[in-house]
Amino acid sequence: MSIITKTLEAPATGVRMAIISNRMEGIARKMQNTLFRTARSGVLNTAHDFSCVILTADCQLLATAESLPIHTLIGPDLMCQYVKKYHPALKAGDCYLHNSPYEGDSHAADHCLIVPVVDEQGITRFFVLAKAHQADCGNSQPTTYMGGARDVFEEGALIFSAAKIQSGYEDNQDLIRMCRSRIRVPEQWWGDYLATLGAVRIGERELLALGKEIGWAALEDYAEAWFQYSEDKMVQAISRLPSGKVTVQSGHDPFPGVPNGIPVNVTVEVDAAAGRITVDLTDNIDCQPSGLNLSEGCARTAAMIGIYNGLIDHSVPPNAGSFRRVDIRLRENCVVGIPSHPHSCSVATTNLADRVSTPVQRAIAEIAPGFGMAETGPIMPPAMGVISGKDPRSGESFVNQIFLGVTGGAGTPVTDGFLTIIHCGNAGLCRQDSVEVDELHHPLFVTDRRLLADTEGAGTQRGAPSMRAEFGPIEGCTMKVIYTADGTINPAVGALGGGPGGLSDAFKRELDGSLTRLPGCYGVELKPGETVVSVSAGGGGYGEPMQRKAESVLADVREGWISPERAREVYGLAVSGAAEDDTLAIDAAATATLRAGA
Amino acid sequence: MRLACDTGGTFTDLVVENGEEIRLFKASTTPDDPVRGVLNALTLAAEHFGEDRTDFLARADMFIHGTTRAINAILTGNTARTAFLTTEGHPDVLVIREGGRIEPFNFTVPYPEPYVPRRLTFEIPERIEATGNVRTPLDEAAALKVIEKLKTLKVEAVAVCFLWSIVNAEHEKRMGELLAEHLPGVPFTLSHALNPTLREYRRASATAIDASLKPLMFDYLDSLTRRLREAGFAGRTLMVTSGGGIMDAEAVARAPIHSINSGPAMAPIAGRFYTDRDFDHAEAIVADTGGTTYDVSLVRDGRIPWTRETWIGQRFRGHMTGFPSVDVKSIGAGGGSIAWVDDGGLLRVGPQSAGSTPGPVAYGKGGTEPTVTDCSIILGYIDPDFFLGGTMVLDREAARKVLKEKIADRLGLSVEEAAASVLTLATEKMVGAIDEITINQGIDPSNAVLIGGGGAAGLNAVAVGRRLGCAGVLIPEAGSVLSAAGALMSDISSDYAQMHYTTSRRFAYDQVNAVLAELEARCKAFAEGPGAGALKVTTEFSVEARYMHQIWEIEVPMGLSRVKDEADLEALKEAFHATHKMIFEITDPDSDIEFVTWRAKVACKIREGGTGRLPAQEVAAQIDKRPIYFTQTGWTNAQVVRFESMPPNAPVTGPAIIESSFTTVVVDPGTHALRTDGGGLKITF
Repeated sequence: MSIITKTLEAPATGVRMAIISNRMEGIARKMQNTLFRTARSGVLNTAHDFSCVILTADCQLLATAESLPIHTLIGPDLMCQYVKKYHPALKAGDCYLHNSPYEGDSHAADHCLIVPVVDEQGITRFFVLAKAHQADCGNSQPTTYMGGARDVFEEGALIFSAAKIQSGYEDNQDLIRMCRSRIRVPEQWWGDYLATLGAVRIGERELLALGKEIGWAALEDYAEAWFQYSEDKMVQAISRLPSGKVTVQSGHDPFPGVPNGIPVNVTVEVDAAAGRITVDLTDNIDCQPSGLNLSEGCARTAAMIGIYNGLIDHSVPPNAGSFRRVDIRLRENCVVGIPSHPHSCSVATTNLADRVSTPVQRAIAEIAPGFGMAETGPIMPPAMGVISGKDPRSGESFVNQIFLGVTGGAGTPVTDGFLTIIHCGNAGLCRQDSVEVDELHHPLFVTDRRLLADTEGAGTQRGAPSMRAEFGPIEGCTMKVIYTADGTINPAVGALGGGPGGLSDAFKRELDGSLTRLPGCYGVELKPGETVVSVSAGGGGYGEPMQRKAESVLADVREGWISPERAREVYGLAVSGAAEDDTLAIDAAATATLRAGA
Repeated sequence: MRLACDTGGTFTDLVVENGEEIRLFKASTTPDDPVRGVLNALTLAAEHFGEDRTDFLARADMFIHGTTRAINAILTGNTARTAFLTTEGHPDVLVIREGGRIEPFNFTVPYPEPYVPRRLTFEIPERIEATGNVRTPLDEAAALKVIEKLKTLKVEAVAVCFLWSIVNAEHEKRMGELLAEHLPGVPFTLSHALNPTLREYRRASATAIDASLKPLMFDYLDSLTRRLREAGFAGRTLMVTSGGGIMDAEAVARAPIHSINSGPAMAPIAGRFYTDRDFDHAEAIVADTGGTTYDVSLVRDGRIPWTRETWIGQRFRGHMTGFPSVDVKSIGAGGGSIAWVDDGGLLRVGPQSAGSTPGPVAYGKGGTEPTVTDCSIILGYIDPDFFLGGTMVLDREAARKVLKEKIADRLGLSVEEAAASVLTLATEKMVGAIDEITINQGIDPSNAVLIGGGGAAGLNAVAVGRRLGCAGVLIPEAGSVLSAAGALMSDISSDYAQMHYTTSRRFAYDQVNAVLAELEARCKAFAEGPGAGALKVTTEFSVEARYMHQIWEIEVPMGLSRVKDEADLEALKEAFHATHKMIFEITDPDSDIEFVTWRAKVACKIREGGTGRLPAQEVAAQIDKRPIYFTQTGWTNAQVVRFESMPPNAPVTGPAIIESSFTTVVVDPGTHALRTDGGGLKITF
């Protein structure tokens, strides 16, 4: 008999909850570890682009460990509801493959495996869900981000709607054959499927053991108590903000299918007394003939990311309990709302989603100085593109997303932008590729990768600078790089007087060494000797740059993040000494004059 | 006579092994001059034996030392001013790292600073390709210009890490020659020589850390060996390494990164010996409880699992050492961990710690926050009048008062129930740490024995073991100085690795066997050099392998020293599938396997039978009783037994307390404790 049983009878829910929530998070972490260590594609085993979560039997999000926010806040709940709707009788040994963006998934490239955790009496107690971004999902082009797709048919992804891929713990070979025949590099897909399956089965095993150990009723009590605790924490966090309402504009760059770009209006209302935050996204244009439309999961989640980022209180657990204090208003057939079939949501997790999250966090800064954030850098420059071709070393085809250099962290009220945040919905949880690993696994060569000075969004807390990466195929290889870069026109805007982050950019280096600028949404074909130059977007700054601590500006100059000229012009800081002998110092008198004049 | 000395954050532990007998001594650590603490411990020992310290030291033939010197220097920023030389085009390897972040909505933690600042980073024109082919030759003129800059900047150490030096080291080697010639007296580290591992960030990080420690560790080890010699010691000085082995102090001075995790790495060595002796070679979870941290490591099939990802500080927020080391999971939970109630009414324990100053409330040294130790005193587990053998009197009432005000009243609990809850939660955190490492390494805790080491281990080791469903708990007789005891048992060892990529489909027999032969030759040279005179030499081969297109290798023991034919390869493949299944629940039997890095480890055994025993002590049996509290029983009058006076194989049934001068073991209700023939305390449920 375990000691925990006795403890559960103790009156303090605070103790009981703390213990079980440690267990739940531990289970989600085990699921993640399995997927990361065993997956075959770089996007999973190097970049960590996946999430593992636990939901209650009534489909409420309970535990996420450290999953990508855009993957998980809303969506897993909707998908489990569809599983229940289409399969009213769930059995132990079932597993469902789901990736329909019209039914809760983020975008078609995110394959989800959903397992109902069914006890010995046949009662569904929980769901475990693992969502993994595929290296390929059968699109008409070798990329999982079809920015220019007019509709889901041109996008071309195989769409699975709660398709039962395992019964009695055995694969449904019909679905396996479908995937093998319509997904590029099928062995890679198969290996990733096994890794994802391992994750959900480990989650199932652990939850069954937990239920046996402490009883299903106790676990259900825990879930409700945990949701209540989370809601209370959310109310407290919101109560620290002043009430207010503001409408903020943002917008995605022009892309194929949307020649004028996509303007985004978000209206954020904080009601501190009632402990509620509302985000209204209904005043926006209809779905567009483009892959940029948001799925419902991404639209709701993107707005919520802006809120959770803006609260600056990470002790609020992001789960169904704290979600009760948030209202996201969406509209059917809206580009940032609930998409209507057959509009494509191929790029829903990143580009336009960030254009919802970032104005929300900036709106909170406007309502409540000291909270909120500047805008995070927009993404998907070529260094985060999908590469494909034939590997001359093995003669085999390859397709994979790379993460060779993306930055973008926004200035916050308390810290400078986190360098490798990647994009707002990712929160920096994905990794950056090792040059050696990429050169070993793909027929590519990285000539250069470095941070660029003077590209940070200036501010009291500055944004992250841009990163430049240059790469191309090795001898004997022709490589296609497909990418969907936002932020070549619209930068990440600063908050409360902070400056914008540097723009994203893309070039092709020709055989003669000259550079040709490339469009934002493009697939570039590179022959041996040619390279693509990728520049990621910087993050916006928070607060007036002239208010930045002089020591911090000096540190930025010494470390080469900013030039002495920019320090003087933008931050009002004069330096003496020289970098060569490491004697740079603050010229206090000149700085006082510069800052007094500001 | 052999001496093992472990300098920790609070105490300097010394174990004296004289023939088949060991004795334990503890002195305070002296951070301003740690060698003084070592000498103080030696003085205590000499006094115990009634000898002059010079005579005492003259009898010792070996001094084995573990120290937190290197790790503390890193944590406090007191390492050398180090420059980083990198391949042109890739200046930000240490800044970009490998990405990754924890706590997605926590924006209060800034992005980590690079280990070497950008202003001390220099690009060297050169480039080698993944194949080893030289794409851009090393520009020596440019390299010399950089060396001039290093002079101007007065750097004290240099780290060199070029892309693909693990495949072709010629540029790094030449750079080393140029540094030796043109920047004499400034130590440097070359990445391929230190740590030939794939992934430039972790290799560069290892290189930078190593270089930055060289001036400091050279001085420290020089001072230690000199002062030991002056004090009369004429034997061999060895250092324990993060790899769980021991190396000559001079060798560690040449690659000081090996000493950064030296303390915790020794605990599993001791744990392995004690489990083999008292639990018949069971799998073991080795938990070392200190004042602020709880370190967990494992023993499986007589092997101690390693990790490739060792961090100094938190994952993604600290620095990766880039070096394989004994897989130790450390969490902030110990006797000093502070209990608190958050603004949502949730009980928390740690990660803040009261440390040794001000320490727990009951120490009366100014501590105002209730700690795990305070709770143990409130519950009667620790006798306030017999702490550290009665050398320190504790204030139980002060602890009760603070716990009532800060925890019990806020949760609506009695003081004792609040204290019990704090211990339960601390237990749960420890269980979480154990769960993570056991799952990572594919061990089922229910088949394993929990070894409790460290002075505070006994407070909840039984609770942790029972909660995990372990086969039993063992508190070794030298458990309170587990790391120092482990040092006495370790082999003189070295580890060699070479990358050679091949696949199961097109297995490169000849090249692989050439690599294995080379590794074996290096092991042999070591055995005949530093390992000369060993009782026994073992060389173990392993390979880091993965399924085709996976990227994270797992270490597979080879069993064989060569792969001669298809049958050998088949056996290797089977071993891989089995290891993969054990760790991850799945196998892919039809998939090709990629073999990446080949390893050989040579271990030279210098002592049979692990270590000696504590001599039996004539202490009055002192069968005493005192009230202690458990949630299950409420206050109960439990028997109190002196550990030293327990005869072998006479069971003590919980609830009970077993005390020694170094530790207190809580025997929970319904569990049974037994002194083993070997002298340890074995608790089963």
